[in-house]
Amino acid sequence: MSTPALRLTDVRKSFGSTAVIMGVSLEVAVGSRHAIIGPNGAGKTTLFNLISGRFPVTAGTIALHGRPIDGLAPHEINRRGLSRSFQVTSIFPRMTVFENIRCGLLWSQGYKYSFWQLVGGQRALNEAAARLLADVNLEARRDVPAGLLSYAEQRALEIGITIAGGANTILLDEPTAGMSRSEAGYAVALIRRISAGKTLVMVEHDMSVVFDLADVVTVLVYGQVIASGPPAEIRANRAVQDAYLGAPAEVA
Amino acid sequence: MSGGAIRTAARPVAADGAVSFLRRQWPWLAALAFAVVVPWFSYDWSTGRHSGFIVSMLSQIGISIVFALSYNMLMGQAGLLSFGHAVFLGLGGYVTAHVLNATKGGAVPLPLELTPLAGALGGLGFAIVLGYFATKQRATAFAMITLGIGELITSCALMFQTFFGGEGGVSTNRMTGHSLFGLGYGAPIHVYYLIVAWTALSVAGMLFLTRTPLGRMANATRDNFERAQFVGYDPRMVRFFQFALSGLFAGIAGALYTLTYEIVTYDTVAGPMSANALLMTYIGGVGVFAGPVVGAVLIVLLQSWVSLLSNSWLVYAGVLFILMVTFAPMGLTGLVLMHQPIWRAGRMGRLVGPYLRLLVPALLVVLGFVLAVELCSFLTIGAAQGKSFTLSRITIDPRGAGAWLVAGLLLVGGGLCLRAAMRGFGVAWSAVTEDVKRAEVRA
Repeated sequence: MSTPALRLTDVRKSFGSTAVIMGVSLEVAVGSRHAIIGPNGAGKTTLFNLISGRFPVTAGTIALHGRPIDGLAPHEINRRGLSRSFQVTSIFPRMTVFENIRCGLLWSQGYKYSFWQLVGGQRALNEAAARLLADVNLEARRDVPAGLLSYAEQRALEIGITIAGGANTILLDEPTAGMSRSEAGYAVALIRRISAGKTLVMVEHDMSVVFDLADVVTVLVYGQVIASGPPAEIRANRAVQDAYLGAPAEVA
Repeated sequence: MSGGAIRTAARPVAADGAVSFLRRQWPWLAALAFAVVVPWFSYDWSTGRHSGFIVSMLSQIGISIVFALSYNMLMGQAGLLSFGHAVFLGLGGYVTAHVLNATKGGAVPLPLELTPLAGALGGLGFAIVLGYFATKQRATAFAMITLGIGELITSCALMFQTFFGGEGGVSTNRMTGHSLFGLGYGAPIHVYYLIVAWTALSVAGMLFLTRTPLGRMANATRDNFERAQFVGYDPRMVRFFQFALSGLFAGIAGALYTLTYEIVTYDTVAGPMSANALLMTYIGGVGVFAGPVVGAVLIVLLQSWVSLLSNSWLVYAGVLFILMVTFAPMGLTGLVLMHQPIWRAGRMGRLVGPYLRLLVPALLVVLGFVLAVELCSFLTIGAAQGKSFTLSRITIDPRGAGAWLVAGLLLVGGGLCLRAAMRGFGVAWSAVTEDVKRAEVRA
């Protein structure tokens, strides 16, 4: 079998004496859409924070395409092709929508910390930003400060920033949280579109979104994986139903 | 796409570029033209001399503009509150003084016009070294480190005699005999034009920097340093480069300072000088590029004019600062920008009345406050200096009850009226802004 996009081996995380992640091993195949579900406090977001380098792991290893990334700083992990969004919207609120997207592109286009060229004059950069803006359907809001966008628009913008750098592994933390039905439907379509050909890992509470999008579902309860497999298998899993999904009737 | 249309329409590319440049940058060009012309308003044709006071004040404005803008590269653009920015102004100034002295001795035949480069390199070099430590942290920790660096360099300035010259500082002479244009630079007006040129260059340079990838990522790390990390940037490196470049421009300001005063002492690196940068930047407005320029002009005018009229100018500057932080944290330029949507919607007329109603009691309060401050000042400092308090030939006795009563009445009466007027203004303001918003939604 080929090297997985992400491989977590016995990853542990404690905050002080409180163990939050207690030995998670997980493989995410290249090109798959992988959902992580679990009740509140199961450690889903913490797991994302460990993978993306926001927190250091207490023990265990994390490998991206076979290369270890645990212990690296977030920006180093990002440069290796892993990008993430946040549960609480994380954008650049005082900059315009276009500027937000363009900032997401700068590093991947090789601009680094350059201070001798104007961003406005970089044709390829601006065209790429305009394309992305169209991808996330925010062209009409191009010059609006991002902080003034509606909630759903901000979520779309964040997805835009997340994919801007061309990362091949994308972590989305509750991308449809707090959205109305129609907004969530739109977001799912957007995620399906932008994750084509990429590896997607997402934390999601909305089961209809999970079973709609994911190829593989991993269930995390109290910092441990209790089940992992195709959606149909997870739906039928008794342990999962007991721990998380509640009565089978509700799931169906 | 529209690209093709633009390409065919843009035949006279150079002319088009010039026009659009003029259209976008005319306020700067107008300011530059004003700076060039303004000393001639004070020219005395009978003696053939410029007013020394005006030229010195204008020179100081130029220096302060560069200094305040370089401070805002940290404060406004990168969200870094520094308490030690004067260090780079001062060190740039010291380096310039030493280079000038070496030029005079014939060791380095550097034309005087280019000596600000020495200050720039000095500021940059020290900002690289000290910034390496300061930019390890952000937010409050960064502020504390810069405070420490400021104290450290100030005490170094008194300890290391050879470089800093101790309490007496380093004196120099700008008439080095090396000039690109054969100018002697004995007259302050010559130095003033040199300052205008370097200020224009520095303003253009700093404006350019805001539009580069580094400048944008400085904004990004200011807004959300975590997000910046997850788009591949190391916020620490962004801070570091921004800090180093801001030191470069502060160094230019220091060089201009040295050329103007021909002496650099330890107070150019000390706390009050750093506080001055903060004051100018904040009062002008941190959110707009031109904000610190406005602040620099205003504070130097306050310093020069009000200090001629009153011993208490620092009290006024301090009260202005407190009022700005309390009521207009985005500064004067921020206040002006708040009116932009109302102006665009053509609704400014509706604010004239409320503003006038605000103006009268505000003036009364200011009058009462100034009177009270001056009475205090004449009781203490004024008495010691043997001055008497005269207002258009009427001598006021600060010990008499009358003047104090008037001041008290103005303050209390004006204050009560002002409070009522402010409430009315608040109502009028929100009505107008609501109206503008509704009009926008409809459009």
